[in-house]
Amino acid sequence: MDVSTSAPETAGGAHWPSDWLRATLGFLALRALSAGPSYGYAIISELERNGFGTVKGGTLYPLLTRYEAAGMVTTEWRAGEGGPGRKYFALTDHGRAELIRLTADWVRFTNLSTHYLDPEVHTKESST
Amino acid sequence: MMHETTDKKWFDELVLELRLRQVHGSAIGDTVASAHELLADTGQRAEEAFGPARVYAAALELPSAPQHEWVRRALWPSLLGLLAFLLFNQAVVSAVRSEQMLVSPAQLALVATPVVLIALLPLYLTAVIRRIWVLIALSAICALAGLLSGVVAPTTPAGAWLAIDPLPWLIGSALTMVVLSTMNTIRSLRPNNDDILDPRSTTTHSNGTGTKVVVLITNWLFPILALAMLGLALSFR
Repeated sequence: MDVSTSAPETAGGAHWPSDWLRATLGFLALRALSAGPSYGYAIISELERNGFGTVKGGTLYPLLTRYEAAGMVTTEWRAGEGGPGRKYFALTDHGRAELIRLTADWVRFTNLSTHYLDPEVHTKESST
Repeated sequence: MMHETTDKKWFDELVLELRLRQVHGSAIGDTVASAHELLADTGQRAEEAFGPARVYAAALELPSAPQHEWVRRALWPSLLGLLAFLLFNQAVVSAVRSEQMLVSPAQLALVATPVVLIALLPLYLTAVIRRIWVLIALSAICALAGLLSGVVAPTTPAGAWLAIDPLPWLIGSALTMVVLSTMNTIRSLRPNNDDILDPRSTTTHSNGTGTKVVVLITNWLFPILALAMLGLALSFR
């Protein structure tokens, strides 16, 4: 039974199942902001560079807007160099705390999944 | 060129969808500017980057003003203006001929039809804006009701349900129209904090002379039409 779907949100690079990206994009975007304030295209490029594929604006901006409403992100328009301004997103203390919490939860979850998926572990457990 | 036209259509649709959702002008300006920013960076078309405008507007889940706000600010004054205009039309011919204004129940029901249709507008506003045939059908119903109200108007006091002096109604309705138009003009001349502002330049989205003239004519539409009706009534006396 195939329950996962292909990755329509990612146009280039890695093709992860869209369900995986939908579940993780939130804290991946928060992680992209952890180094300092950033803007839409830079966040998309950062995620792409790290192998998550090209996230579309139609996916990223609604997410960041919800985070802004939840007080995890603040926004500021800054004048561009020789061009129109850019909207910068920055993590708030609440956003940073949420990133730490979600990262810890994700590590626990992936460890658990990896452990469960490891056939050797299952063989050992069933033989004892 | 095609690229720009398609994107312009997409942005127009986005603004319309956000307006329909009662999103504040500053938030709309912010959304439009950030979409332009990303498109300039990626070189993508708007639909390609953000998907259909209606879906994107819904996905943003931006805070919206309660619906009763625009009903109070825009719909009730418009409705009162329409009612005054319809009353003026009923009274003007009788007043010019120095006759009693004769009213029948059928005529009253037909005059009330456009008022009721406009009062119920919040229930189907989205359908009116998205489907032109709904707007055409509504306009046709209102025009037909207006025409039929003239047809069923009683010609003799015996056939009338009410026979009233038209002058107070004529003056009252004319004053109501002028007061409402003056109020709307004052309101539209004031700086509006719901204008769509580009956060990069703090200029409004569209506020040229043409727009101002259209707004002014719209504000004074009922008095202008009422004057035309008065002119017609005087010429056919």
